[in-house]
Amino acid sequence: MNRLRVKNLNVFYGKTQRLFDVQLPDLEDGDILGLLGPNAAGKSTLMRALSGVQKHQGQIIYKDNHQGDIPLSDWHREVAYMPQTPPQESSLLPFELLWSAARALNLTTSDQKLAKKIELLFKRLGLAESAMSPMYSLSGGKRQLVGLALALIRNPYMLLLDEPTSALDLHWRMIVLDLVHERVNRQDGIAIAALHDLELAARYCNKLVLLAHGKVVASGPVSDVLTADNIAAVFKVKAKVEPGELGYPIIQVLEPML
Amino acid sequence: MHTVTLQTHYHHVFRRRALILIALAVALVLTLMLDLSAGPASLSISDILSGLLNPENLELRHRIILFEVRLPDALIALAVGAALGLSGIETQTVLNNPLASPFTLGISSFAAFGASIAIIFAPSLPWLGHTAMLPLFALLFALLCGGLVLTFSQMLGGNRENIVLIGIALFFLGEALTSAMQYVGNAEAVQEIVFWSIGNLTKAGWTEVIVVTLCFFLILPFSMRHVWVMTLLRAGEAQAQSLGLNIRRIRFFVILRVSILCAFAICFVGVIAFVGLVGPHIARLLLGEDHRLLVSGAALCGALLLSLASFLSKALMPGVIIPVGILTAIIGVPVFVLLIAGKRRRP
Repeated sequence: MNRLRVKNLNVFYGKTQRLFDVQLPDLEDGDILGLLGPNAAGKSTLMRALSGVQKHQGQIIYKDNHQGDIPLSDWHREVAYMPQTPPQESSLLPFELLWSAARALNLTTSDQKLAKKIELLFKRLGLAESAMSPMYSLSGGKRQLVGLALALIRNPYMLLLDEPTSALDLHWRMIVLDLVHERVNRQDGIAIAALHDLELAARYCNKLVLLAHGKVVASGPVSDVLTADNIAAVFKVKAKVEPGELGYPIIQVLEPML
Repeated sequence: MHTVTLQTHYHHVFRRRALILIALAVALVLTLMLDLSAGPASLSISDILSGLLNPENLELRHRIILFEVRLPDALIALAVGAALGLSGIETQTVLNNPLASPFTLGISSFAAFGASIAIIFAPSLPWLGHTAMLPLFALLFALLCGGLVLTFSQMLGGNRENIVLIGIALFFLGEALTSAMQYVGNAEAVQEIVFWSIGNLTKAGWTEVIVVTLCFFLILPFSMRHVWVMTLLRAGEAQAQSLGLNIRRIRFFVILRVSILCAFAICFVGVIAFVGLVGPHIARLLLGEDHRLLVSGAALCGALLLSLASFLSKALMPGVIIPVGILTAIIGVPVFVLLIAGKRRRP
């Protein structure tokens, strides 16, 4: 069943157009869509438009309803957005953050259930030891994981992740994307992630969109999008793409193109 | 690991902070007693206690001093301090700026401008008594400033950088207009304007105490309704916004109520510096970021600071009352520098 369709999406910042007629592959339960592209390609803008934070023109159709027709409060119940900026360095405690977020959103859970939920999330994301440490004492990676925990607190149907792994080491990158994969599959959800890491995108996403200068350059299944020609056109690097042993293509970047 | 550990752990943290809050309240009662005992007439703390419990215990002269002079002065210190502390914490959180205070919104300098208009033109406007006109004009101009901040920032999209910039611009505008009033005023009026701008608690009576206290308790429930969002905002605006909360709307209402509260707080007593800036910082250091405690904690810290300053203003030089605004700045600046120094040691 089609869950999310995005067509003719245009975004303006003042008079400057940032997204031009963006169309995404139709997404169904269990899909993870990767957004790839160089800096300033419009990935974050697209994310913000999908999340409802950014004004836009065009169609975002979710379960046969236009996003504009869904009250924002209902939309945010279904859709969680993890912004690129991690929680800032303050003396706020991660546990406090999740707790107050749940209460600010009027999540109707008992204190005990909420505490248990936060505890499980933190354990899964390796934050159990940091739950009571002020945010300023945590590394950028840990704060990013707290940001992910915050996005997951509502059990959203659709997860929008803006570079969720940019501050993480290899181990935690995989833990995070494994978790996203598991949630999307087990709870029949979808996820859209802006990623910089082509290898991770190939490994975890089943659909990809390649963006450059606010336009879609290629979209579809992973093997159709991640070709040497597309990579050369968008990222300006010479690359070799080979089928990998684990069932997804391996990209070997050779040299930057002048 | 047991599943309730985090919750119990946080309960411990919360209880420890709640105890600190209670300790602050106790300290406040003690400084109130100290403040009441200070002054030219020798009234011991035990005299005051028995007088408060049963006024008949005091001779008439002392009863008048206690109930008509010292108590209103001491209580206005608490009310104004609490109001400034509360407006300070809300401004800092909602603008995500540790240097913000209601005064950086320009409210104090507009209040001073209003006061100087009243002082200079009062003699030519006989229909309103001087004593009523001064606070009224200070209040109206402070409210006007809050209104200008809100209007301009809405016009410019309501983001917090703009609010800070508009506030600071209005602050300098108010200063310039006050200077202009001083330029046209005679020596006596100028002296009165300067004296008002320093901040002074000794002119307050029961009416003033009741008005400021009422205003504080009318605003406080609105602040308490926003405690979860305010705590969440300490993770940054992007995070709070990503959850679908309308931060601009919340910011509008916070600035609105802060302007009203601050305007009422300073219209009777003048510009009392630093309480609205340092009080919230001390509260944050002691109580952490959970605004359930922090909101009342900042009010308590503000009240404590101003009450202490009020005591010192009478006790430092026997027979002389130093204007309290001078002391809050002199105490406030070193405390503030120490706080900043302490913060820089963080990794």
